[in-house]
Amino acid sequence: MADAALFLSDLALGVLLGCVFAVIAHGLNLIWGVAKVVNVAHGEFIMLGAYGAYFLNLWFGFNPLLSIPFDAAIGLGVGVLFYFGFLHRELRGKESMDLQSEMVTLVSTFGLSLVLINTAQKLWTPDNVGIPWSPGYVVFGPVQLPLGGLYVAIVSVSIIALSHVFLSKTYLGNAIRAHSQDIPAAQLVGINPTITASIGTAVGFGITMVGGALLTVWLPTGIFPAMGNLYAPISFVIVVLGGPGKMWGSLVGGLTLGVIINVGQLFLGNNLSLAEAAAFLILIPVLLLRPEGILR
Amino acid sequence: MNLRSILSVGPTLWGIGIFLVILGGSAPWIPGFLLTLVTGLLIWATLAYSLNLITGLVGYVSFGHVVFMAFGGYALAFGVGALNLHPVVGVALGAAVGLALALGIGLVTLRFRGVYFAIATLVIAVAALYIVLDIEELGDGKGIILNPAVEPLSVFYTILVTLAIEVGVTYAITHGRIGYGIRSIKGDEDAANTLGINAARIKLFVYALSGLFAGAAGGVYAWNVSGAFPYSSFSLTFSLQMLAMIVIGGMGTLLGPLIGTVAVYLPSQVFLTIPLLSGLQFTVIGLVVIIIALFVPGGIVGTLRKYIPEFRGMLE
Repeated sequence: MADAALFLSDLALGVLLGCVFAVIAHGLNLIWGVAKVVNVAHGEFIMLGAYGAYFLNLWFGFNPLLSIPFDAAIGLGVGVLFYFGFLHRELRGKESMDLQSEMVTLVSTFGLSLVLINTAQKLWTPDNVGIPWSPGYVVFGPVQLPLGGLYVAIVSVSIIALSHVFLSKTYLGNAIRAHSQDIPAAQLVGINPTITASIGTAVGFGITMVGGALLTVWLPTGIFPAMGNLYAPISFVIVVLGGPGKMWGSLVGGLTLGVIINVGQLFLGNNLSLAEAAAFLILIPVLLLRPEGILR
Repeated sequence: MNLRSILSVGPTLWGIGIFLVILGGSAPWIPGFLLTLVTGLLIWATLAYSLNLITGLVGYVSFGHVVFMAFGGYALAFGVGALNLHPVVGVALGAAVGLALALGIGLVTLRFRGVYFAIATLVIAVAALYIVLDIEELGDGKGIILNPAVEPLSVFYTILVTLAIEVGVTYAITHGRIGYGIRSIKGDEDAANTLGINAARIKLFVYALSGLFAGAAGGVYAWNVSGAFPYSSFSLTFSLQMLAMIVIGGMGTLLGPLIGTVAVYLPSQVFLTIPLLSGLQFTVIGLVVIIIALFVPGGIVGTLRKYIPEFRGMLE
């Protein structure tokens, strides 16, 4: 029965990890869904969120959960700047993204990611840092769960649920959804495309940076300037799995990835690197068979 | 091809050809440290031209080009280390591995367009690292270390010849019949398909060539540093630097990748020697990439063509 217990605890850990993966991908999902733009520098904003939590901890002794509102506020501001700096010129007056604009945003945000990684390395050195915060464990039968991870999972799911409520129940949220579906029609009913798209992008950035802060709970010594190179591909895979623009899609994609990485090890002979490769490569069959994502 | 058509290839190809011949002819007299610098420049130029084939000409942005380079390097390291091949044969092996890999990856990923292709290639490059970490013959996570008995001149000439062939191939496919197909795919792939252009086949052909040259360049790189190591070979920085080079030089042009390589590589090396600036080279490169992507589409070569009419007929 030891195997079953191991399976259960790996599954539970995978679910917890999946929740935090979901929230870091969620910001990308929003921006992708609203502005139809893929932010290649996404991983670097996760990194900035993580460093935000780290410095708040270093200076004021905040734990990662307390730093959420601050990271969110910074993210909103950065998102507005990002929209007007990088996207406005390409999106203004257009009814849909063409391939040319897509290429411009891909390449320019890629330049941004180079700038952010290397400035961070110069400012904060390439060394790993971490936040010493471990609130203990909670035991359910054979399964032992880290309490920090549990809190983070709860917060992550609430953030995704809240963003779903925001987009489907409030006026502003409906405007953002209308804008993402049909820009000329949204303009006809009096929705200002610039304001809606910039707010959507700002919310996406806020969630991304909060995701970075939440991720630090899982990384006791894993905050470093180039961490985006790992978490950006993870976010891309999650968003494509769930389907860009679908709010619950990030949760489905995140859970899929978290479970594959944690449970996959058991079936691949306790081999973490193969499980991670499998988690990434699942993107290919999904793109081939269900390009619109797992969710309908 | 008769003599006249060879002579009338246009000033750009002539210029690059003369540049490479002069470089090749003067190599034995170039001092050691400078030769190392030039060899590095040529390796990067080969990589930039290779990415230019698929991203510049066909318009498919690839973030995972490093995968061909890394496997080319591993092929050389394995061939030279375990099979005792001559390094030049190892480079050929690297090119063959790059070609095979590009055919396999391209068959699947070239079905995706735009960002989906970019993401699929990125993800494959990340996954490839995790797979290599687990292969015992490739040294697990430690990589393969070769005897550092490198003759700088033979490395130099190998990469010079590879680059010359690559530039020739780029010229041939842009000016041949397939060039029309490539341009039409870049303009509008669906329209190209309706006109009877076999877009899937053309894309795969160009991607395979691109993989071939990236594999060869990776082989030379591994030969030059005497080994292949997982974390440094698969570093996404390589893909990103290649992309920065062609964006700055001018995507889809014949001269652009070379200009871009010079513009990115030489300043980076200068930055490395100044302690205060060391590490900031990519910040500057990134800023330049942002500015060029947003405000100067076409890069250096495109801008020269746009504003100086005399260059329009000469530069391509």
